[in-house]
Parts: sequence; structure tokens; C-alpha cells
Amino acid sequence: MELQAATDRRRALAAVLRDVSAECGPSLRVLSGQAERRAYETDALTAHRVLPGLVLLPADRSQVAPIVRACLRHGVPYVARGAGTGLSGGALPAESGVVIALAKLNRILDVDPDRMVAIVEPGATNLSISAVAGEFGLYYAPDPSSQVVCTIGGNVAENSGGAHCLKYGFTSHHVLAVETVLPDGTVTVLGSDDIEAPCYDAPGYDLRGVFVGAEGTCGVATRIAVRLLRRPEAVRTLVADFPDVPSACETVSAVIAAGIVPAAIEMMDNLAIRACEDAVHAGYDRAAAASLIIELDGHGEECAELFDQVSALCSEHACTRLRIAADEAERAAIWAGRKAAFAAMGRLSPEFLLQDGVVPRTRLAEALAGIADLSAAAGLRVANVFHAGDGNLHPLVLYREADGEGPAAEKLAADIAELCVALGGSLSGEHGIGVDKACSMPKMFSPADLTAMDRLRAAFDPSGLCNPGKVFPTPALCGEAKAGAYQPHPLEETGKIQRW
Amino acid sequence: MVGAPSSASTPDGKSAPNGTSPADGAAAASEPPASPRSITPTTVKDLRDAVSTVGAVLIRGTGTATTWGAPVRDARTTVSLAGMDRVLDHRPADMTVHVQGGIRLDVLQAELAEHGQWLPYDPARSEATIGGLLATGDAGPRRLAYGSLRELVIGATMVFPDGAIAKSGGHVIKNVAGYDLAKLCHGSLGTLGVVAELVLRVHPLPATSRTVMVRDVDTASAQRLTWALTKSAIEPSAVEWCEPEQVLAVRFDGTADGAAARAAAARSMLTGSLAELDAGEAHSFWESHAARVVAEPGDTVMRAATRPGVDPGLVGALSAWADRAGVKALLTCSPATGAYTVRVTGADAKAHAELVKNWRASVEAVGGFVMLRRRRPGVDAMVESWGRAPGSVEVMRRVKGNFDPENRFAPGRFAPWF
Repeated sequence: MELQAATDRRRALAAVLRDVSAECGPSLRVLSGQAERRAYETDALTAHRVLPGLVLLPADRSQVAPIVRACLRHGVPYVARGAGTGLSGGALPAESGVVIALAKLNRILDVDPDRMVAIVEPGATNLSISAVAGEFGLYYAPDPSSQVVCTIGGNVAENSGGAHCLKYGFTSHHVLAVETVLPDGTVTVLGSDDIEAPCYDAPGYDLRGVFVGAEGTCGVATRIAVRLLRRPEAVRTLVADFPDVPSACETVSAVIAAGIVPAAIEMMDNLAIRACEDAVHAGYDRAAAASLIIELDGHGEECAELFDQVSALCSEHACTRLRIAADEAERAAIWAGRKAAFAAMGRLSPEFLLQDGVVPRTRLAEALAGIADLSAAAGLRVANVFHAGDGNLHPLVLYREADGEGPAAEKLAADIAELCVALGGSLSGEHGIGVDKACSMPKMFSPADLTAMDRLRAAFDPSGLCNPGKVFPTPALCGEAKAGAYQPHPLEETGKIQRW
Repeated sequence: MVGAPSSASTPDGKSAPNGTSPADGAAAASEPPASPRSITPTTVKDLRDAVSTVGAVLIRGTGTATTWGAPVRDARTTVSLAGMDRVLDHRPADMTVHVQGGIRLDVLQAELAEHGQWLPYDPARSEATIGGLLATGDAGPRRLAYGSLRELVIGATMVFPDGAIAKSGGHVIKNVAGYDLAKLCHGSLGTLGVVAELVLRVHPLPATSRTVMVRDVDTASAQRLTWALTKSAIEPSAVEWCEPEQVLAVRFDGTADGAAARAAAARSMLTGSLAELDAGEAHSFWESHAARVVAEPGDTVMRAATRPGVDPGLVGALSAWADRAGVKALLTCSPATGAYTVRVTGADAKAHAELVKNWRASVEAVGGFVMLRRRRPGVDAMVESWGRAPGSVEVMRRVKGNFDPENRFAPGRFAPWF
């Protein structure tokens, strides 16, 4: 039986290859050798690896629809892939499936500085949009840590956030329209009718809103219209050190309660501070129990007024040292320290697992105390560097595989994610569910919730071939022993991306 | 109160525009629905029981949008959300609020204001329910700065036609777990499910709001000034242009000093006859702006969406077609987001229908859409409530089919599309 199934899968793949080659011609790059395909077996969630059957790199966006149609015709599952920086296994291939790698579709097609809109291809990197828009004093707001290499297509799939989405919102707030190859092989625009003249409003159901964040299960984006924002006139940044974690958490609550919406509020605990400072020498105080990085931006005078209020609130909450960035260089140094946190973890531990749970902001202290308890009980260290302003934790579970700590670390990481749900939060703030957290979905959603979501997914993809096995718990994924430990992605090893 | 009678009993409900089968109309005429009933549940479970019925169901909040889109045919049951009007959990320190779908926006705003907070959302229909506002996908002028309701909803509990109670999102402002059912229902006009509960992200109430008004701004200037304002550092929360008055209003929200400084910066940037309104003048300007958008029974109201900008061609076409039809067309436009609302008064249904047809053709020619939010009785027989179907209509049909296979929720609302 299994032999027969394997033969059928090979035949189906061969048929897909024959069809797409005939329709797309030689400009469609095909990777069929095992070594070539190996590079696509995982994204940045390297614990999960599946060798795809075929990798196709369209040279032109008109080649995407024929690929999807061929997969549909021959019953072959497929997944679209950008830079492969996703942290939840969203771009993990299906076994004997096709990877549609969109890296070559990376053009910024149009920037309209008056309407403050850009039309881009899915393989364009997040930062490349801002680089082109920068010429007009504009930028694309969502700023995931991997923005140097991550693609806008992947950001759309995952509804990516970043440190500054506290004030500016997530990808879904900034996408006006998505040209999509639907799983039935037709091309349509969600959110407008003409991708070149994107509207804020479109009649009927908000399908664009559904598509953004559907983790690539509703089709393949081929062009994306994004909003651009004007660069703020003023930006002010500070680092505040605290004698204990609860004081830092109370400060976060106090800032929010004062009616201030900072551009970003990041928090690091002592373990993270020491690792970052040793690695980057950003000027952090190694003795501080916790530090906050708070950034405000906006109109000059108003920004200054609110920044003074934030500084005062820090002092009122037992802040032991307040460092205000004097210039852009100092600001950059502060952020470099924060962004080096991942690389720095190598100093603390050979391996670690990263979680992405969210808790209501007022329960941050409780969540961190809970994590400390779980950490002590498991006998494993946990470092915390996270987006405190929106309650999005990024606990790093440190362990040594060589000492056999892997299974305990896996369990601790899952316990932390589920602790966030128990505190009224969410499994994921920005990394997505993918395969990583699919098995925990029943902790957050009832069977009725998941049925409704699957009904929505099925309206886009009745065939179930578009990025199958993601988001929803499946027996294949959740019934078996979980995959192995974290291994760094090659891009992380070269320092091109960070983990959160 | 601007609510029209339930669509089930409007004369419009009997008219069968080209897209619907004439047999439907005939059946409706010969067999009027046997005593339509109204149910007012107070809990999610009661709401589920209320929709788990036979025949067509019309969801009703405060009834401010029963005329939006195409008329609903033969609703046997009206489910009113008037009994689900409570704040369930306001967490001021988290800046989130959990409400039932039937709470009125103005009531919610008053409660939030006691804590120095608000939902930064200003649709013209402030007495509408929050669930109705999500279902209608409505937005006001301040969408420019704060987004629309789709950006402010962080969690939802929906009741679907099969009685399933399903949640998505949650109580945290950052969350990517699962599909977003709340966004699905944005703009669904009661055809997919009932919004039983919502969790919303609230914001600090700005200390001050200031409005600068410029007079004698023609279309070209309105466009030019809008681009100048949105590209400047002064961060307006709203930019609105009204025709035929040719007035451009620019709003600033912020700290007392900050909003004043930005309003002053705007005054120095703008040219022509300009003035900063005092609080009373600003209040009455924005009230009259909202009144124009809402309009009165007997008026026809068109809502158009185009790419950002106020298109001189479209404004010219509107006034030319209005002159030709002998009607008055009052326009408010949010140039930065490309939203136009046109209130049509005067003359008769035939003239209204002619204007809708002609102007819709102009808007569609530039890639936009025109829907009817309200119409003079008789207009439905002559022109569709919806124009050209978007390319994604096939997906909408499949979504509708998956959630409401018997087509019981607001049947006909998206006619002739589905």
C-alpha cells in the first residue's frame, strides 16, 4: 500500500512538473534534486523538517496561477515561501508537496507618495519597501525583527508585528489589497478590485482581513498594496533600570494608564540584560533586575511633553537609572543591544526554545512570576526579552541537549504558552500558530470555534491543498511524539535575522 | 430617530430587481409572511435559540441601517439585540472593553469617558449598536488617524445560522492565533452571523480636539491641501471636504498644547479663507456633517469608495448628473481615504435612480464602488443597490454557502450578487 502511495505521489509530482514546464517555459526555475530541495525543508522553526517533492521559483508573477492549477489538477499540496524566516513552521512543506518560492518576485512596483500607497511583489523584503518609500519621507510601519530579510508576502501570511506595532498596528492594518491566486487557480484581488487603484473600503465581507494572518492557507499573494506612513517628526528613546521585575511591570501599566501610547515599550530581565551587554556593550546596567526601553514619537512638542511624563513615571516607580538617548547614534546603540538579544543567548546556553505568548498588560508581573515558578520546577533557566507594551512575551527556555534536557525544555515551553492562555491571553502574538502551536489550539479555542474557522478556510480552499496541516491540530501532528530540539536557522547564524 | 421600518414590511421588499427571480416576488406578493415575529434575547444562549429557527432571520440593532444594501426578502423572524446591551468587562488599565453586541456606541463612549477613555471611532450613526457598526463596516472621518472598527476589535463571539457559538481573537491587543472571524463579519450586513459579543481596544481620550476650517476650496485645491496635510508632520485625525459648500475641515486630537500647536501649523500651511472653530462651532459642524451622512427617510444615500483622493472628474460628474436629473446632491468626502457619501434630495424616484446609475458608472470607471445606504421608495425597481460585483464575489458566495447554506440570514441583502 505504502509503496503504491509513494509511486502515486511521484507520478503526481511528475505531472505537475510537466504541466508547469509546458505552461511557464524555461524561465520558471525548477529545483528537483534532493540537495537543492533540502534547503527548503524548514523555515526558522528548524525543529520541524520535511523534504519537499519539488521547489518552483517563478520568475514572473503570471507563473504562480499555472503552478497552483497544476497542483490542484494532480492533487499535490503546496506552500508559498518567502525568506523562510517564519518562527512557527508556516512555510514547512508538505511531504511530497510543492514549494512555491517567491524570492524572485521582489520588485517594488509603484510608490504613490500623495496617496501614500505602495504596490509590491510578495518577495520584496519588508525593509526594501521603506528604503524606496524613504525617498519621499515615507515608510512601511510594521517592523518585525527580521525585517532586513523577511518578505512582505510572509508578513501578510503571518500578520506580522514588531516592536512598534503597539502604536502603529500590525500588517493587517497596513494592507489595503492583496492580489491572490486562490486555491481554485483563479486570480482575484481581495480588498479592492483593482490592485493598482487600491481602496480603503471594499463592498461585502472583509476577505482581505481574513487573508492577512491566515498563515498562507487561503491562497498565494502575487501583488500587495500597502499603506505608507510619514516618518514622525520627533523620536525620543530612554532606558530605565529597575531593582525588581514587578516595578518594571508596574511602570508599564502606569504609562498605559496615564493615557500615553508609546511607539514601543520593550522589557528585558537580568539574564537577558547581562547577555546583551556582554555581547554588544550597549551600555546596559548588568546589575539591573529589569530594564525598559521606551520610545515615543510624533509631533515635536507633543512628543517632548509626553516623554517628560514617561520619565517622571519611571522615577516614581523606583527606577534606579534613567538613560535618555542624546542623539540618533545612542538611540541606535540602545536598539542594537535589544536586537542582539538572540545572538547573545549563545553565551548563556547552547540551545534554547522561544515562546510567543501574550497576556493582558496588567498581568505581566503575574505571568513573569508564573514563568519563574515553572522554570524553577523544571530546573531550567528562562530569559525574558519582550514587547511589554502589548503584553507579548518572548520567554527563552535555555537548555543543553547534550545533557538530555530537550524533552523537559519542550514541556516547559508548552507550559508557558498555555500559562498565557490561562491568564486570559493568547498562544501567539506575532509568530503564528503554524505547526509549532497547532496542538495547543484546543487550549484557547473550543471545537465550535475551530469548526467555524475551518469552515472559513474551506471557503477559500475546498481542496485542502493550500498549505495543509497548519493552524489546526491534526492527529498526525499532535498524536505523535513532538519533533526534535531547536537548531539555529542558517540566516540566524550569519546574524542576518533575529529570533523575535 | 432615523430607523426605517423593518425591511420585511417595506414596499421595497416586494420589488424584484433584475437579478432576483420574478417567481420570488410573486410568491411574496401572494403569500405575505405569516405574522413576522420579533425576539429580544438577553444572553448568548437565548440568541442562539432565537436564530435556530426556520425561515429568514433579520438581525436588528437600533435599526439605523436596515436600508443599507439591497432589501431583505421575507424575514419571518427579527432578532433584536436590544436586550444585549451591556458592558461585560471594562479593564481600564489594560485599555480593553468586552461588550455585548447590542450596546449603543454613544452609551459605550459615555461609560468609557468616565475613565478618560474612548473608542476612537466616529461613524455618523452614534446611536447604532457596536455589533451593527461592525456588520455594516461603517467608519467616520477619524478613520484617517485611528483606523476603522476592524482595527479596533480584538475579539468576537459570533452566533452562526446553524446555532454554533464561535469565538475568535481574545482579550489581548496583539494576537495572531486562529482565523479572524470578526474581520469576516466586517461589512457582512447580517448575512453571515450575529455579533453577540466584542472585545475592543480602547484609547486614552485626547485632552483636546481642534478643528480648522477652510472655505472656498474647490476640488483641485481640496486634493492638493489634503496631500499637503497628510504628508506633513502635523498628523490630522480627520480631513473632510464638503460640496457644494466647498469647505475643508481638518481635525486635530491630542494634548492641549500639542493639538493647539498642530492646528497653528495647519493654519500657516493652508491658504485662503480659514478659521479655527471654537468648541461650540466645531461641535455643530461635525454634527451637521454626520446628519448629512445619515440623511432622512425619502432621501437616497450613496456611499462610494475609490482609491485615496477627491477626484475632480467624479465630483464634476456628480454635479452634472444631479443638475440633469433635477436633484440636489450633497457630498461629504474623506479625500485621504477615498470615501464619498452623497445625500440626494428633491425630485422623484426616477430622478434619484438616474443619478445613481450615471454616477455609479463614473465611479466604477475609476475602479471604485457605489452602494446604496438608503433610497427614495421606488428607486429599487429602477436601479440595483449594488453595482458591478468585485472579482472576489465568488469567494463571498462560498463563504456565505459554508456558513448559511439555507440562505436564512438577511436573504437578498447582497442581491444581485448573491
